[in-house]
Amino acid sequence: MLQNPIVQRELIGMMRTRKAIVIQASLVILFALLLLLRWPVDPIADVTGVKSMQVFKLFSYGILTALIFLVPVFPATSVIRERNSGTLALLLNSPMKPTEIYFGKLTGVMMFVMQLLILSVPSLAACFVMGGISMQQQVLPLYGVLLLAALQYSTMGLMVSCLAGSIDSALKITYGMVLFMSVVVLGPHLFLQGATGSLSSIASWLRCISPLPPVMDIIGHRDVGAQGMDTNINSILNYVILSLSLTVIFISVALVQLNRRILDRARSAGVMTHQMSKFAQRFRMILYMGMDPKKRSPLIPGYVNPVLIKEFRSRRFGRVHWIIRTMVVCVVTSLFLAIQSTVYTEQWGVDIIGGIMVVLQVGLVVIITPSLASGLISSELESGSWRLLLLTPVNSRRILVGKLLSVAVTIFLIVLATLPGYVVLMVIDFTLVTQIWQVCVCLLMTCILVLAISALVSSLFRATATATAVSFSIVIMIFAGTFLFWLGKGAPFNVETVEKALVVNPLATALTIMGTPGFDAAEFQLLAPQVMWKAELNDLWPAVSVPLEAMGVQRVSIPMSWNWIVTAGISFVCFLILYIRVRLLTKPQ
Amino acid sequence: MSDSVVVIDKMTKKFGEFTAVDQLSMTVERGRILGFIGPNGAGKTTTIKILVGLARPTSGRATIAGADCVTESHQIKKLVGYMPDKFGPYPNMRVREYLDFFGAAFKIPKKERKARIQEVLEITRATYMQDRYVEALSHGMQQRVGIARTLLHDPEVLIFDEPANGLDPEARIEMRDLLLRLADLGKTLIVTSHILPELSRICDEIAIISGGKLRASGTMAEINEQLGQMRMVEIHLDGDERIDQAQEIVRNHSDIAEIAGSKTEELIRFRANLTDQAMANLLNSLVSANVPVAQFHEVQTDLEDAFLTVTKEDRAKMV
Repeated sequence: MLQNPIVQRELIGMMRTRKAIVIQASLVILFALLLLLRWPVDPIADVTGVKSMQVFKLFSYGILTALIFLVPVFPATSVIRERNSGTLALLLNSPMKPTEIYFGKLTGVMMFVMQLLILSVPSLAACFVMGGISMQQQVLPLYGVLLLAALQYSTMGLMVSCLAGSIDSALKITYGMVLFMSVVVLGPHLFLQGATGSLSSIASWLRCISPLPPVMDIIGHRDVGAQGMDTNINSILNYVILSLSLTVIFISVALVQLNRRILDRARSAGVMTHQMSKFAQRFRMILYMGMDPKKRSPLIPGYVNPVLIKEFRSRRFGRVHWIIRTMVVCVVTSLFLAIQSTVYTEQWGVDIIGGIMVVLQVGLVVIITPSLASGLISSELESGSWRLLLLTPVNSRRILVGKLLSVAVTIFLIVLATLPGYVVLMVIDFTLVTQIWQVCVCLLMTCILVLAISALVSSLFRATATATAVSFSIVIMIFAGTFLFWLGKGAPFNVETVEKALVVNPLATALTIMGTPGFDAAEFQLLAPQVMWKAELNDLWPAVSVPLEAMGVQRVSIPMSWNWIVTAGISFVCFLILYIRVRLLTKPQ
Repeated sequence: MSDSVVVIDKMTKKFGEFTAVDQLSMTVERGRILGFIGPNGAGKTTTIKILVGLARPTSGRATIAGADCVTESHQIKKLVGYMPDKFGPYPNMRVREYLDFFGAAFKIPKKERKARIQEVLEITRATYMQDRYVEALSHGMQQRVGIARTLLHDPEVLIFDEPANGLDPEARIEMRDLLLRLADLGKTLIVTSHILPELSRICDEIAIISGGKLRASGTMAEINEQLGQMRMVEIHLDGDERIDQAQEIVRNHSDIAEIAGSKTEELIRFRANLTDQAMANLLNSLVSANVPVAQFHEVQTDLEDAFLTVTKEDRAKMV
């Protein structure tokens, strides 16, 4: 296999990239920091091995996170990049078989992973010499799970790369799937643990798609938000079964795609509905409910920002029919959960249902927003269309507003479609009104924060693929990475450290507001909204106090979470830098 | 009275220590086609970027129809239609939507826009591709859509950067016809290209730039004069026996820059600064020496020769 020229080229090619150097250097620094953070300073030797176990736990989570989010970047762009540059045609035209090309690429990625794992050995050795860690029961199983995870995500990335139409869409889909397979699958079990029935056992199997439960099992952390409950399911064995099954599926799908067919695609002939037969026209009208994508779109009205419409039209999923489809899925899911909550209120409770809804909503925002916003400016810089935009009388402010609005409107509509479930929750328990309003604020802050970060990153890079990867990395670090501290609550992290880490994460605040198990408002005071400002009606201006008095309001109080202040602050800074950056980009050189 | 639409006056553009454009001065008359040529890195694109308001000159100024390219950039956007060498497609957008967006960006009212899109599609003969996705078009089709985009707001001056680049011979002929049609519509055109025979066929004037400096400009005859272009003469002999003698006579007769003889072709080719009288004297000398001259004629110098003269001089300076 090592004689395969693809392996050598892929590995050497990968090692030469700046990305690889940054990843390697970051990992070494991260491991060093993890050790420094928890290395015992007490002169008395720890014979119980508790300290070394704490360092080992931290180390395990760190390396797992790094592998999950950094490794898929390479395979996700591997095939599509070659297809776009034309080298895939050369490879397929050579005597090499598609399987040789595929496994050459996979081996190259896995060798890079091996190298990353070797980089972690010195830190692991430091933990090991402190004692208390078993080679057979902890170190080897951990590395086994890490290798399996790398294989699972690499094959997934390669599969997406074979199917995707462009480098940035490959990255967006890959990160969406990574997030789903590593974090979202944990959600159902988190809420359904302890319950009986098939739904609960499906949820406990589903969670084993993620490498997190087996790693937690290995380091003795039992389960994600276990609430003291133990399960009989062997998460390591289940993970091995599921991970290998998924790997086989990913490889099979990729190999079906990776042949001459991948290049044998005709250009669109541009046939529109009005050019079709009358029967086809009527059929399409019913099928698309009047929003036929092959119908000529109307001209942009003079009063609308043309950049806004252009953004919608130049996005595959920005067209009206796609937005409507996404909204329908969101409404159905939201109502399904709401109906579940009415049927199983006593069994599940509104806090659990509310928690599931919040996780799904934030997950949706975190997956969709960077994929929409990270290419806002970088894609134009990359394709050269930015220069064309500058030749028009549209000024920088209008360009920026149009672009940001195009993402904001899409996200707003999608989030809006997920809200009906809350109405049902309010009907069940009216006392939840305040909590639901506060959760809505958290959702708003999530949207603003993710949009601000992704749009800013988009203006800093000229390659959309890089901007997408960086945006997803930052957003995932905020929304998933900070939960690693929560997983380590008690040991090795104390509550204050966990709270400080979660203060940038609006999802944690929403879960705290909903009273989700593991997120106690009394414990996380920085997250739970506190009354920061209150006033009697007499203290207010008459223009404000009179209508409030008419509504029967006695006094006004504004609850505020430190999370909202921090995320608003970060978002403001991001938007400010973005504005300056766009001004610079629109100025003549 | 001159009717100059584009006026560049002692314009310089520096990037740090590097001078991309050096004291460039030139004008383009209304309704003319200017071929703007020069080797790679000569400063063509930088000059164009300044003209369309995408870059600022370090010193000097440029105006289009009286509007300053730096201080009146808003006016410049309306006056100029620019097609860069990179097409700049938007994914998932059809040609009609693509043109609609740029029409709306140029604030063309909705009612007028529909007719205008139809009109520019017809001028560029691109109507049949209006429902196709922009990124799925061939290179030649994209070039035509690019030109349609530049025409949308009916600009006075059109600037095309390498419009024939990457086109097949048929598409190149179509492009040439299209540029001539635009000139007939009264537009002023500035065209850069490395396909010089194509350019010489359509341009009224040529400007040759090298190392950021204007080396020659005007009609082909004026350029030859400015470059001190030598006349190239070919002498065909009847047989190859006296070819060495003929070369010797030519060499002795005047200051010859280059001379080459081919026995297989029975031909002598030389380049020299000769007047018509000197040419007649040379022919007389050859005939008097019993050299069997079958043909004696001057080869017309073209744009490629002018271009090569400039690049050769530049290379010589660098050495």
